Amino acid sequence: MINTELHDTDEFINLWQITHPAFNPSDIDVEKAEATIRKKIRRRDYFIMKAFLYWQRLAAVLIIPLIVLSAYLYLTRDVAECQETGYQVIKSPYGIFSQVNLPDGSNVWLNGGTELKYPMKFTPGKRLVYLNGEAYFEVTSDTKNPFVVQTNQMELTATGTKFNIEAYADKAQTAVTMVSGKVDVAFGQSPSIPLSVGTRTCYNGQTGQQTLEQTNPYKWYAWKDGLMIFRDDSLGYVFNRLEQTFNVKIILKDPTLSNDLYRATFEDESLDEIIRLLEMTAPIKFVFQKRSKTIDGYYEKQKIDVYRI
Amino acid sequence: MLDEHNLLIGLKQGNEEAFSLLFKAYYKDLVLFGGWYLPDRVACEDIVQSIFLKLWDERSALTITSSLKSYLLKSVRNACLDEIRHQNIIQEHEDYTAHSMIYREVDIDHYILYSDLQKYVEKVLKIMPEAYREAFLLSRNEGLKYREIAEKLQVSERTVEVRMSKALELLRKYLKEFLV
Repeated sequence: MINTELHDTDEFINLWQITHPAFNPSDIDVEKAEATIRKKIRRRDYFIMKAFLYWQRLAAVLIIPLIVLSAYLYLTRDVAECQETGYQVIKSPYGIFSQVNLPDGSNVWLNGGTELKYPMKFTPGKRLVYLNGEAYFEVTSDTKNPFVVQTNQMELTATGTKFNIEAYADKAQTAVTMVSGKVDVAFGQSPSIPLSVGTRTCYNGQTGQQTLEQTNPYKWYAWKDGLMIFRDDSLGYVFNRLEQTFNVKIILKDPTLSNDLYRATFEDESLDEIIRLLEMTAPIKFVFQKRSKTIDGYYEKQKIDVYRI
Repeated sequence: MLDEHNLLIGLKQGNEEAFSLLFKAYYKDLVLFGGWYLPDRVACEDIVQSIFLKLWDERSALTITSSLKSYLLKSVRNACLDEIRHQNIIQEHEDYTAHSMIYREVDIDHYILYSDLQKYVEKVLKIMPEAYREAFLLSRNEGLKYREIAEKLQVSERTVEVRMSKALELLRKYLKEFLV
């Protein structure tokens, strides 16, 4: 062993190592080693690239059907379904009035058996609502964004105005009564016509017949205040009103009855009270049918027969 | 001299040229350094290559606090020691160190590489007294133990020890001038 005092230092170990290599330094081929390592790097990069290409191809394989599916869903999308998402539907059952405040500040009163569909947020340019039934509108004025009511057989365009619409999808007749302001109405496929205050227009979808008359508008939307106003109206119309308001079915046993004219104002009266008043003032008699149950166990609508005395 | 700082920046940016320069500069010395622990050239070359491969893979995340040289030397030492443990050749290793030099930790931060000194070593050996050189070369080139050298030169083992010490002392003295 070497003299430790002198040589057992890092310096000497280092020197010894260098002067006593474990193997012949000229056996070490640096170039060959570099070539080997470069090959390793390239091969690994190749595998990484291959893996990348594999995933890329897999992604392509997956994305093509995805695009096709998206396109299919987009092209075949159900318009009504799409609209459903952002829409609110208010239903007022027979016998019940409802009041709705729309997002633009407009107020709508819904008569019995009415359905109103409106967006949670109106899109700029058009405030579109869908109506099935009878409703009285007080529309907030906004000329830039006209208020449009779409029904089964009519499209009504207003900016700021009050009007009443009767448009039950199961009835042939659609009617609009102007209270104030100005609206344009287009029935069926006809071009739109302007309506002036105090006019009432009716359209029969089955006959295509359209009528226009001057009227006292309040009579047509007094229902929103709980009033039923009849001024020389046919009993047929009166019974329609009663059916709508009280959720009953009135059956005319004598068809000629429907043409008799009637004049009355009812305010918050019960059906029994109204029937009693009608029986007193007209030559008619009401008979309540026994209520039958449906197969589901629910009671059907109360049926009332009307006879001429 | 290598501009190690710029090469490291180049390496981090994935510059293959920088990697190649670093490889060429350190490969041989690192293999020889590994030989101190693991006297198996092929094993040492494998170790050093895998260290360079790792250096390339982790180049972007590389943080070297000391110098690249220290980092590489440390990596080689650790890998060699791991390899020794794995191969369970500690016995052989001890046999090897017994005939060459005491086995102990080296100062990696101040380590002088083989290629730094090699050409100077030859110069110093030439100007060295014949007796010292003879003993030194027998030890270095033929890997003889002091006892074997003593037998060959017909001198006492103690004389060999002294001659070797003198040779190393001279080397140290002259090489210091080169290293400054």
